[in-house]
Amino acid sequence: MSQSPATDIDPITFAVIKSALDAIVDEMAFSVISTARSEIVKDVMDFSTCICGADGQMLAQAKTIALHLGAVPVAMSHVLQRYGDDLTPGDVIVLNDPYEGGMHLPDLFMFKPIFLGDALEGFAVAICHHTDVGGRVPGSNASDSTEIYQEGLRLPAVKLYERGEQNDMLFRIIEKNVRVPDIVRGDIEAQFAACRVGEREFLKLLQRYGREVSHGYLAALLDYAERLTREQIAKWPDGTYRFTDYIDDDGFSDEPIPIAVAITVHGDGLTVDYEDSSPQVTGALNSTLSYTQSCTYLSVRCVLQADIPNNAGVFRAIDVRAPEGSILNPRLPAACAARALTGYRVVDAMFGALAKIVPDRVPAAGEGGNTVVCIGGYRTDNAPFIIVDMLCGAWGGRFDRDGVDAVTNPSQNMSNTPVEVLEAEHPVRIESYELLPDSCGAGEFRGGLGIAREYRLLASEAGLQLRADRMRFRPYGLSGGSSARAARNLMRPAGTSDVEILASKVTRRIAHGDVIRHEQPGGGGFGDPFERDPQRVLQDVLDEKITPEFAAREHGVVVDVMAGCVDIAATAALREQRRGAPQS
Amino acid sequence: MGLAREGDDGAATAVAGDGVRVGIDIGGTFTDIVAARPDGRLHVAKVSSTTRSPDRAVVEGLADLLNQNGISSQDVVEIVHGSTVASNTILQKTGARTGLITTRGFRDVLEIARIRTPEMFDLTWSKPEPLVPRRLRLEVDERIAADGGIVRPLVRDSVISSVERLIEAGMDSLAIVFINSHANPAHEKAAEELVRQRWPELAVSASWRVLPEIKEYERTSTTVVNAYLQPVMRTYLERLQSGLREIGIEAPLLMIASNGGVSSARATAERPVFAVGSGPAAGVAGAARLGVACGYRDLIAFDMGGTTAKAALVDDGQLTLTTEYEFREGISTSSRFIKAGGYMLKVPAIDIAEVGAGGGSIAHVDAGGLLHVGPRSAGAVPGPVCYGLGGDEPTVTDASVAIGYLNPNHLAGGSLKIDRDMALDAISSRIAEPLGIDTIDAAHGIRAVANANMARALRAVSVERGRDPRDFALMVFGGSAALHGVELARMLAIGTVIVPNLPGVFTAVGMLTSDIEHHLVRPFSSPLRTLASDVGKAELDRLRDDALMVLREEGYGPGTATVAISCDLRYRKQALELTVPLAGDGFDDAALDRLRRDFKAAYAQRFGYTPEHEEPDVVNLRAIGVGHRTGRLDFAGTSVEAPSAADHARFRPVSFVRGEPPIDTPVCDRDDIDVIDIPGPLIVETYESTIVVPPGASIRRDDYSNLLITP
Repeated sequence: MSQSPATDIDPITFAVIKSALDAIVDEMAFSVISTARSEIVKDVMDFSTCICGADGQMLAQAKTIALHLGAVPVAMSHVLQRYGDDLTPGDVIVLNDPYEGGMHLPDLFMFKPIFLGDALEGFAVAICHHTDVGGRVPGSNASDSTEIYQEGLRLPAVKLYERGEQNDMLFRIIEKNVRVPDIVRGDIEAQFAACRVGEREFLKLLQRYGREVSHGYLAALLDYAERLTREQIAKWPDGTYRFTDYIDDDGFSDEPIPIAVAITVHGDGLTVDYEDSSPQVTGALNSTLSYTQSCTYLSVRCVLQADIPNNAGVFRAIDVRAPEGSILNPRLPAACAARALTGYRVVDAMFGALAKIVPDRVPAAGEGGNTVVCIGGYRTDNAPFIIVDMLCGAWGGRFDRDGVDAVTNPSQNMSNTPVEVLEAEHPVRIESYELLPDSCGAGEFRGGLGIAREYRLLASEAGLQLRADRMRFRPYGLSGGSSARAARNLMRPAGTSDVEILASKVTRRIAHGDVIRHEQPGGGGFGDPFERDPQRVLQDVLDEKITPEFAAREHGVVVDVMAGCVDIAATAALREQRRGAPQS
Repeated sequence: MGLAREGDDGAATAVAGDGVRVGIDIGGTFTDIVAARPDGRLHVAKVSSTTRSPDRAVVEGLADLLNQNGISSQDVVEIVHGSTVASNTILQKTGARTGLITTRGFRDVLEIARIRTPEMFDLTWSKPEPLVPRRLRLEVDERIAADGGIVRPLVRDSVISSVERLIEAGMDSLAIVFINSHANPAHEKAAEELVRQRWPELAVSASWRVLPEIKEYERTSTTVVNAYLQPVMRTYLERLQSGLREIGIEAPLLMIASNGGVSSARATAERPVFAVGSGPAAGVAGAARLGVACGYRDLIAFDMGGTTAKAALVDDGQLTLTTEYEFREGISTSSRFIKAGGYMLKVPAIDIAEVGAGGGSIAHVDAGGLLHVGPRSAGAVPGPVCYGLGGDEPTVTDASVAIGYLNPNHLAGGSLKIDRDMALDAISSRIAEPLGIDTIDAAHGIRAVANANMARALRAVSVERGRDPRDFALMVFGGSAALHGVELARMLAIGTVIVPNLPGVFTAVGMLTSDIEHHLVRPFSSPLRTLASDVGKAELDRLRDDALMVLREEGYGPGTATVAISCDLRYRKQALELTVPLAGDGFDDAALDRLRRDFKAAYAQRFGYTPEHEEPDVVNLRAIGVGHRTGRLDFAGTSVEAPSAADHARFRPVSFVRGEPPIDTPVCDRDDIDVIDIPGPLIVETYESTIVVPPGASIRRDDYSNLLITP
């Protein structure tokens, strides 16, 4: 039944090389964290590191932003296209253009070709989300841009270093075009440090096992990942499985934006087609095909069982199609800055379809993607500040357990910015950072609770951008579980107690003392809420994660809060009565 | 008894002198006790741990040891001990019912944590349960700004009513953490005072005392762990101390802290969070001290037990410290940027990398044909297959028995029977057949994968810190380490493997070799050049004086007290600093230039570049004050009586290299090893450990009874 990874491969060396690659990419990631300057990189950890082979295939990725992995192959192919026969030791190439291998402009890819003697052996790769890359708004991340030209400095694949010499001209151009040049430069240097570390360690690995032998094992690692992927897909029933989820709007019209997927299982491979998805949109929600592919690979990867190496072999079993000119494969000059949101909805749609194939491995919908809060302006001494904060959400309920409260979307692996760091670095005060009771979708296994964060501006004025969603189309439940509560953007102008409800995508000015509050949705529920163990409902009530009203309404459980127990008779009666009643 | 006296500064009170000193290592399975006489004679006892009340094994074992060797309890002048009581309390969730009061709006900081997940693509993961459930986390009205200014004054009634509510809910230990208290602790102090006045018996941990540092989650988590442990630790230490008094011992009781230093029982009872890593820290600290005593100042200490293997770097005799780590259920990976799945402790600790590979680690082949070893362990029960106690999954120990590294009939001087055939059968059916290879090859494979995992721990503390392992010797201790030492050394091109005497009770011995050490840290955030200013000089002088004063209080002065100063440096806004020693006494411009140069060199070595023209920032100043004790154990002068290994065959076949025929290998006693190199292949069997010297390696004894292997 089981067999060795390949016939002429020593299983022991194979395992050792796999561990060594994992250690190298993790060491690269730690180098980024150690040397980066911005909160978005060092605290939120919006970056990733990997090693690619000489042909550009990704061999290993660190435990960082998962969604970057699938975008690397396309970026690599643009680098090879441009510089394939013009790479020398000491070169470093960067790019951020979504139309030439990038994702959105703030994500700068860096590639360092690795040479052993004269032979190209691979690439050390580091991707960081930069605090600012210029353009019309601080943070370069507006969802209401309509052309890529508004979004900031656009770099095709260019050499930042050539034969070890720094390209001063390029550095100067970058520094002139961004609002916080010191921070951006520091983060670019952090990427460089990671690439140097990756190069050094990958070379040691090659030297230890020899070029020829290493090549054999690296190829075998990719084959191994492909084989494990195909073995599992082969067990799935053939057929086509569809699901459609929606983005509320693009900020320009109220039109919902459908993300429609059809997964076709044929033997040990998948075709994933997004044909019925929205055409490209006016706002900046357009996702390049590379990012769409990345989201697709990731969704499949999440439901595979085995400990599959995190490399490009997984991609080979999956064919992704999206019509040109659609939101998932836009044409120039469509704006892309907020494409992450679209990616999240791709993952939600993929999970919805995958739930029909492997229902016990797919959670109900999570929050639907982190919300981006950008607040930028100038202090009294005219020094610029830019806050780029990411608010993460919740996981939906699962086949056999509750979702997770306050957690990164599984397609990323983000952290949060500490309140005290934000306040120490920027003219802002955080008035609260908390779980949102009742935000979960009810189910036999409830969804996780979302979170809220409240910002009070202490500078005289600033530009605010908010990219949120899931206000109309709430995170779905599965197997009878309920949808979670919707997201909200709120504002309390200075000196008032009036609360103003804002749209899902916001670009506006705010003034000293204004308070902005964002509430994330929770996760959807899994299974019939009336099947939930009343004792678990009780614990949630006692922890004030849900209110007694929610317990009665959603779960049919009557809790006596003072006594700290479930009213068993009342619960039985209520559940009986509600089960008999028609669904409202 | 008043262990938790107000105003205690955490200083260890210890007596240097000529009496008998006792080192005790309380482990999960065994409690090791070592008594050292002033003349260097060591007496050793290994007794079963009494998990429910660990003090019982200590008191009974020590009483027996003193009796048997005719030592009067009055002659005992000091007891140093390391214990896993704090870490076990967290693991087994047996701590206090803890409550938390915090700033309005921030009730959930503890539970939100840092948002990340430990693995990618794993949709089955759940967050660890917070040590304080939401119902026991309450908010009070107050707010301090980032600059320490008061935004909203503390409303005292809100403190009183919250604590009343928590007490009604059965809370027996309280944590107090307010936002920005690192910038201004006034509100925390006021709340703490209020609570202590009103409920004098209640255990209270305020964050300004435990960890006055920025980042609310890290500070909250650390303070909450402290509160969670405090009542347990207080009870444990009180019982231990009164038990010792009952057998007539009045000597001060010291405890090894996570950073390898010693701390008084009183200070530990107040701030137990500093002792969570006490168990493993003691072994590493012992290795460092032995290394210094024997002239090996640069070491990688490697401790391999049944379930995990741990590695730590000793650099020029100094332990490598970290300022934060996560306490996890199970295994700490060597990835240091995960921030999930554990309880964050931001306290100084020895930087120990731990991987799930030990003698009991289970090997299996996955569906794709890949061989895995660990992190699941067969533990003590059922244990490896070869013990014949019901285990049927092959372990690393079974692999070592299969290839002949371990005695095929018995271990531990005959007290533990070994069945090699059972080990071979299990490896054959579960590993060799699925992989389509020979059984002995599969046994080598299991060991190779385990070695690769363990090498990862060694790499994490060396290569990943920018240090070349070739500059270090590998000191191995713990149950199985000497079976793997040479292979690990070869993987990392390490030139010397040191097997100390008594590796089985090594940790306890190591405790007796300690000098008194105090680590002082003072935040000083400013550009490097300001260190040479009057402000900088005054700050450095004050730090040095503080260190000298603490030592003076313990009787160390000119000739016996030294202070080493170092600086934590980084570039602006970076998250991680490098600690660079300040050479010499002066703080003049030349010293600063040297410091700047050393930092740039260390930075470039690690990251392959340095930012040009950028001045580093100082983050902290550090002082290590050392009181050099006259009575401490000197490895040069020790002698031990230990039982010899049971009779063993003089030769046995051993498969050293996969695919090559076994070699008939001589087996000898530790005493047979002389100061002249003996070439491998050779197996050294002692009562408590087996040392493997493969072909190509050689072994000799040094003047301190250590065995040195050249791999």
